[in-house]
Amino acid sequence: MDVRSVVIQGLAILIICTFIELGAGFMLKGMEERFMLIPGLAIMTLPLLDLRGNINGALASRLGTALHTGVISPRLKLTAELTANLSASLILSLITSATIGVLSWLMGSMMGLPVNILQLMVIAVIAGFISGLVLALLTVLVAVFTYLRGWDPDNITSPAMSTIGDLMTVTCIYLAVLLVG
Amino acid sequence: MSVYSIRRIMLESYPILFICVLIGLFAGGTLEKSLTGIKGTLVIMMVPLLNGIGGNLGCILGARLGSALHLGTVEPRLKGRVLRKNVHASVLTSIGIFLFISVIFFVIACMWGMGFVMAAKHALAFILAGMLLTPVIVVSVVTLAFLSFQKGLDPDNVVIPIATSIIDVAAAISLLIVAITIVGL
Repeated sequence: MDVRSVVIQGLAILIICTFIELGAGFMLKGMEERFMLIPGLAIMTLPLLDLRGNINGALASRLGTALHTGVISPRLKLTAELTANLSASLILSLITSATIGVLSWLMGSMMGLPVNILQLMVIAVIAGFISGLVLALLTVLVAVFTYLRGWDPDNITSPAMSTIGDLMTVTCIYLAVLLVG
Repeated sequence: MSVYSIRRIMLESYPILFICVLIGLFAGGTLEKSLTGIKGTLVIMMVPLLNGIGGNLGCILGARLGSALHLGTVEPRLKGRVLRKNVHASVLTSIGIFLFISVIFFVIACMWGMGFVMAAKHALAFILAGMLLTPVIVVSVVTLAFLSFQKGLDPDNVVIPIATSIIDVAAAISLLIVAITIVGL
């Protein structure tokens, strides 16, 4: 392997990711006041960001394998295999977001914050589910597109998807916060 | 008979996701505790950048090591040229991208109406936190890749989720410590 080409390819994709993550950064800065108003919101923001990357990263890597082995054909049709993958990702999003809501409440209580479990649960589940739905559909599109283009999913699809996932998740958390008030 | 079952994907994924949530809560708790300390600075804006880009660096190294272990070009031992070159490439990439981002934060801080000293402090905080994070990324990814490969687990499924959670915690903690304690933002 050539260190130079790995560094150059890595830097190229990471510079693009930097600009997308900056969007997420501006969004968080804009939410700073809300973080002060809703105790526990800052606690769950980081696990929710992490969750999005993990669920879609796994979905992207399963789809990559399925496309390479021919289990899923690179066409946008809801076959049984694709449906199972999508449903599993969505159910996981829902259950794990609820887990994050409960555990953030628990952590906040232990830190002595005046946390409201209902408020945290609703924000976590709405943000987790909406971003999960959007990201799952986007992951399928990107996986099929990159496969048809012949790009390496390890080096391009995963970092790109996790970064877009961060921006989407912060946006959905903000929407959920606005909805809950 | 379909290849993928919802039940199987969920049973295999949920335990790992649960561990990731537990690790991630420490990052979140640290951020929550530091909120008043970082008010009026751009530190909160840096959080997704250090976490996200740090995670991406870990993902790329993890994916490369996973493929190399499967191909047999890297053995799960701490020596060999291919491993050294992969680590070397990751460290160089991380120095390059973290320097680039710290320059961007210098510019954003200036445009935000902060003075030269404050903008320079923002850039310094980011680059210091990035340099603290780099060894954590390399050590956690290499350790997890080798351990999972030796245990017969697929590194592709285990390394990336757990490594990104560890990187998130390390990133949030190092950023907040550097920003508040060392640089004094």
